[in-house]
Amino acid sequence: MKKIDKSVADAYFREKTRNMIIYFIIWFLVSFGVVMIAEPLSEISIGGFPFHYFMGAQGAIVTFIILLFVNAKLSDGIDMKYGIDEEKNVRLSEGKSLDH
Amino acid sequence: MDTQFLVSLSIILATFGLYIGIAVFNTAKQTSDFYVASRGVPPIFNGMAIGADWMSAASFIGLAGTIMLLGYDGLAYIMGWTGGYLLLTFLLAPQLRKYGRYTVPEFIGDRYNSHTARVIAAISTIIISFTYSIGQLSGSGVVIGRLFEIDAKLGTMIGVVLIATYAAFGGMKGITWTQVAQYIILIIAYLIPVIFMSLQLTNSALPWLSYGELVGKMGELDRELGISEYFAPFTNGTKWQFLALMFTLMAGTAGLPHVIVRFYTVSTMKAARWSGAWALLFIGLLYLSAPAYAAFSRFILMTKVAGSKITELPAWTKSWVDTGKLQVADGNGDGVLQWSELIISNDIVVMATPEIANLGVFVIGLVAAGAMAAALSTAGGLMIAISSAFAHDIYYRVMKPNATEKTRLNVARISIVVATVLAGLVALNPPGAITQIVAWAFALASGTFFPALILGVWWKRSNSQGVIAGLLVGLAVTLGYIFAAKYGGFTILGIIDTGAGVFGATAAILANVIVSLATPAPSQKIQEEVLDLRYPEQMTYKNGEVWMNDDATKA
Repeated sequence: MKKIDKSVADAYFREKTRNMIIYFIIWFLVSFGVVMIAEPLSEISIGGFPFHYFMGAQGAIVTFIILLFVNAKLSDGIDMKYGIDEEKNVRLSEGKSLDH
Repeated sequence: MDTQFLVSLSIILATFGLYIGIAVFNTAKQTSDFYVASRGVPPIFNGMAIGADWMSAASFIGLAGTIMLLGYDGLAYIMGWTGGYLLLTFLLAPQLRKYGRYTVPEFIGDRYNSHTARVIAAISTIIISFTYSIGQLSGSGVVIGRLFEIDAKLGTMIGVVLIATYAAFGGMKGITWTQVAQYIILIIAYLIPVIFMSLQLTNSALPWLSYGELVGKMGELDRELGISEYFAPFTNGTKWQFLALMFTLMAGTAGLPHVIVRFYTVSTMKAARWSGAWALLFIGLLYLSAPAYAAFSRFILMTKVAGSKITELPAWTKSWVDTGKLQVADGNGDGVLQWSELIISNDIVVMATPEIANLGVFVIGLVAAGAMAAALSTAGGLMIAISSAFAHDIYYRVMKPNATEKTRLNVARISIVVATVLAGLVALNPPGAITQIVAWAFALASGTFFPALILGVWWKRSNSQGVIAGLLVGLAVTLGYIFAAKYGGFTILGIIDTGAGVFGATAAILANVIVSLATPAPSQKIQEEVLDLRYPEQMTYKNGEVWMNDDATKA
């Protein structure tokens, strides 16, 4: 165990929080945002679908999936930047929970 | 005994054999090779297991039918049940994994350092999982009822026996690989009929790209019939109801105990992130297909069934009329079945469409097996959540701390049997469509666990008095609104019972924050434990300082 500067740890937390806020803004726009203006959007057509229907049935879900993978990948990058070693995380978490 | 019965039954039995085989194989392997098993399942397979746990009879049997009947308004279920994974994977799963406990009530009890909170959380788990399982049993009733061509009520009773046996005697451990198999069966069973219908109707093997034109065409048919267009927004409820339902399902996803527990089984915070991403990809496959399924079903019913002579209806109508879920009555006595004279329950659309579209005995049997996989895997997870809340959190942690492991296991099994039988009794006369019943479970989860967990993880000042007030207020407001809206006709902004979670969550957050601020802050230790959840496993927050654990020795 060695002490690290609290500002380093805070920078880690800030970087991840900032990304998360961006993800949630996109999440809100493609779901709640589109529903709120569904009527005007229904005039636009995409692949035979009215646009509001397309977003509800496909667009929003695909965006959600992409956001989750982007988060997983970028978070790995942030972990690496701050010298977090996944092998050590595995060892540290062992036995802390039920293994199914 | 017709061919269909024999084919469906054999496919169902073959898949059951597969699940049992995997379970037996894994139990044997775990004892001999303990450490390999304990290293955790790779995120991609854990994603599939989460998918099987998650996609219940509501997703498999109920969803497409709900969209078919509600049109655009049904898409709140699609966005709600997928968008919640962002809340879960960003805000809760990795943090709860670092905290590391066995059950959700255990996290709440320890984080807030309160036995009262633990017991309320355990009771909430039981109420939520119980409501959810009513939907599963009602779903298995539809499948079994069609299989034996009996009333769905009798089918439900057979389902009770099946699910109680499966959950009580199936293991609590080593179920991950069984769930992976269940996911594969259920997704194949869902995709094959959609792809076949797409080939029949649009000559394309990619339903996701091809059903758009049918949606447009149905709009024209609807205009000719003088009914509102299939894709027209907010025809079955207000815009506020759509938004409230979507919020309820999202927040509920992040607060369902049997889903959260799956994230306790991954190895690290990083694995939790990847598991969440894979899970939504696998779940998304079904959710992207459900609106296509709905569009194809509706198109076939509108163009091929409606308009035929009442005396010349195909054979499938009789077997579904027998289950009590389909009505074909020649209301105006002109000898022709009109679109408006065909009354089809949400819950049979997925099961009946392969027959309507004449996809052959094998596909029909496969869909039945997939539906059983969906109902069983989720019911299994729910029953484990109920039994662990009772046997572990209430019986062992509060009532009898010195109970032996054997007694606890027996208590767990008895609670599974009691819960299944009670849920089955309610499911005999289901109080709503499957998706609607399940939506109530989500409303309860968003009114209780969602606020308690979010504040527990992200706000160190939240204390035991706050969480107790939050849980009780959230539960009361959600239950109260569901009953007032469903039976008393009381609504706010047109928000009905299924959107109750938005009020429950708001009330619970307010109660938690106000009461927490009015009472003393939690101990220094608890506050530090909460701040510690901001950082990865290797960083530890202690006494206002952060320590980096480079040699990975446990503190």
